[in-house]
Amino acid sequence: MDRPKTLPLAVVGVSHRTAPVEVRERMAFAPSEAEQALLELRSLAGVEEAVLLSTCNRSEFYLFPAVDRRGLAAAEELFRSHAGDLERPTADFLFRRHGEGVVRHLFQVSSGLDSMVTGEAEIQGQVRDAYERATSLQVHPPMAGPVLNRLFQMALSVGGQVRAHTAIGEGSASVASVAVELARKIFGSLRGKRVLVMGAGATAELMVEALARDGVRGIFVANRTLERAVPLAEKLHGHALSMDRLVEALPAVDIILSSTAAPHPVLPHSLFREAFPRGRRRPLLAIDIAIPRDIDPRIGDESEVFLYNVDDLRKIVDDHVRVRAGAVPAAERIIQQHSQEFRSWFASLEVVPVIRNMRERAEAHRQAEIERLFRGLAHLKEEDRARVEVFSRRLLNKLLHDPTVRLRKGMVDGAGADLVDAVRFLYGVDAEGRPEEGAPNPPTSREEGEGDAIQSKERSG
Amino acid sequence: MIHLLAFFLYLGAFILWVRFLLSGARGDGPNVASAVVGVAVVVHAAALGSFWARYGELPLAGPGAALSSLAFVGGMALLALLPVRQVSRVGVALLPFITVCLGIALLVGIRPSDQALVFQGPGFVLHVTFAFLGYQGLAMASAAGFLYLIQHHELKAKRMGRFFHFIPPLATLDLLGQIGVWVGFVALTLALGFGWAWTVQHPGVISLSDPKVLWAILSWAVFAVVLLLRRGRGRREYRSALASVLGFSLILGSYLVIRLTSPGSGFLP
Repeated sequence: MDRPKTLPLAVVGVSHRTAPVEVRERMAFAPSEAEQALLELRSLAGVEEAVLLSTCNRSEFYLFPAVDRRGLAAAEELFRSHAGDLERPTADFLFRRHGEGVVRHLFQVSSGLDSMVTGEAEIQGQVRDAYERATSLQVHPPMAGPVLNRLFQMALSVGGQVRAHTAIGEGSASVASVAVELARKIFGSLRGKRVLVMGAGATAELMVEALARDGVRGIFVANRTLERAVPLAEKLHGHALSMDRLVEALPAVDIILSSTAAPHPVLPHSLFREAFPRGRRRPLLAIDIAIPRDIDPRIGDESEVFLYNVDDLRKIVDDHVRVRAGAVPAAERIIQQHSQEFRSWFASLEVVPVIRNMRERAEAHRQAEIERLFRGLAHLKEEDRARVEVFSRRLLNKLLHDPTVRLRKGMVDGAGADLVDAVRFLYGVDAEGRPEEGAPNPPTSREEGEGDAIQSKERSG
Repeated sequence: MIHLLAFFLYLGAFILWVRFLLSGARGDGPNVASAVVGVAVVVHAAALGSFWARYGELPLAGPGAALSSLAFVGGMALLALLPVRQVSRVGVALLPFITVCLGIALLVGIRPSDQALVFQGPGFVLHVTFAFLGYQGLAMASAAGFLYLIQHHELKAKRMGRFFHFIPPLATLDLLGQIGVWVGFVALTLALGFGWAWTVQHPGVISLSDPKVLWAILSWAVFAVVLLLRRGRGRREYRSALASVLGFSLILGSYLVIRLTSPGSGFLP
């Protein structure tokens, strides 16, 4: 059997690095489409194992085994038919990786190193979903068989380790997530906290949605005119109010998000004083992402007010991105180490049956020789027989130890294919480790016993 | 020897918390540090049990024995916080107090008092135990308050660095501080009540002008002030945190002054 020198794995797909969003969205697969695509891939190209990872930033087919181009060609065809007509050929947007490159790529993906925002955490869950979707398909053999099963399990574990032991996921890398993180550090639980949204900017909306996911309930939307506040309030399941009612609303809220297009501060210090004549009693998080600023900066000097403007948030995000970028080398080291581990594991898949057969045959020889020896030495006491038995076992283990270790190491180093061939030739075993037809079997005790009898007759005659 | 082991375990737990803080609150630091605190408290309990078995009295009298028991109450309080995610991080501020108490106890020797106590029996045990609980309550509030002030400063300075990530939320620290002060206040009030009841039964043995009595009254007053400051308008949480830290420092400082100026004071004859 021809065995590849590298891992027989392949990945083909598009990502934010190879295709613009217009193309990525055409090549994205919904969960039900993904299952269908995997089944088609198997029926078209006979791919044994496949997983499809499809998110807003990437769509990738992972294939095993990929010893010829059939699987890749079928996956590319699936992309082409799914995307329909594009301005350029589909192949122009696709990237391909083979062998160990696939392992490294998936580990980088699950660790967030290949994400648009380095270190983003959502990808870990998306990789898990893709893997579980493949494993949940009721097909035989399973779509995520032993190899991709192991590969994805390791990818999830590597992603977790990279996040735990490096700064790759440190801090928030978007303005909305920084707002949520700040709110959590001030209030602990956000359950039941109230938010006032001033203006109707998209970023403020994103922030409110993120806060709502964390349990924020009372949402007030204030705008210059009540009519303009109503649509956003309805969308966020909140209450609309006009700006002239700010003084009444302020004491009730814990968080203010502001993003109006007003040319002057909509929350001047005098208005704040009016709302809190003796100062604020509870903490207030105020996030002002408007330019020019909506909230008078002097309000930030109030003791229980934590005021952040767009520059403050951008600086925090930039700091976090810098910290994350600095963590990439450490993350790559973890990925490298586990890629090596996967290669060793895969190599062991091939070499284990060969080693097992080699040892079984050697053991059969040993047992046959021991029986033959004991027949000629019938006077030996039981304890002496046991000693000889132990001696023969030790000798066998010592003789086989080095070849076994070197064979394993050879496989890991990528030069093991020839070694396996050599062992198979010497021991006469096939790819699964079974004795090949025509290979000499270890002599049975009966045959050898007959030989001894003939020899002893010859000697006595 | 067992006390020494407990000391090193508390110290080890503190070092683990600091390492976790410096790493930017990454890795499995909290689990390991929490486990070490758990072991330290168990070992410490064994050490105090061994003291009881050896001398036939609770380790409450004598500076070394009392300090060890005080540290143990702190260890128990920390142990109670361990299951609460993030809150256990207050250990980084509380463990130094526990470790120093136990360290001093080891230095002065953990043995019964050289002199026979006048105040004995269950009343004495309750008096000292409640007093320890009271001081540890304030120690806990002070540790939480200390972290609150740092986190408040980080938020005001708009920094999201190691301290920001490590220290629990302001609201959590405030709640912990409140619990510490209230538990401490009630316990110290009970301790003083038991002490006062004893002085009523044995008039003339200890006077109000005794430094230790004055110190106990000062401690109670500190608690009262910390609680009163919380009731005012504006910056309640911040004021309360600051008051806990300053109040605890004042109690510690005044204790040291009393020990240095009148080492023989207390319930000794």
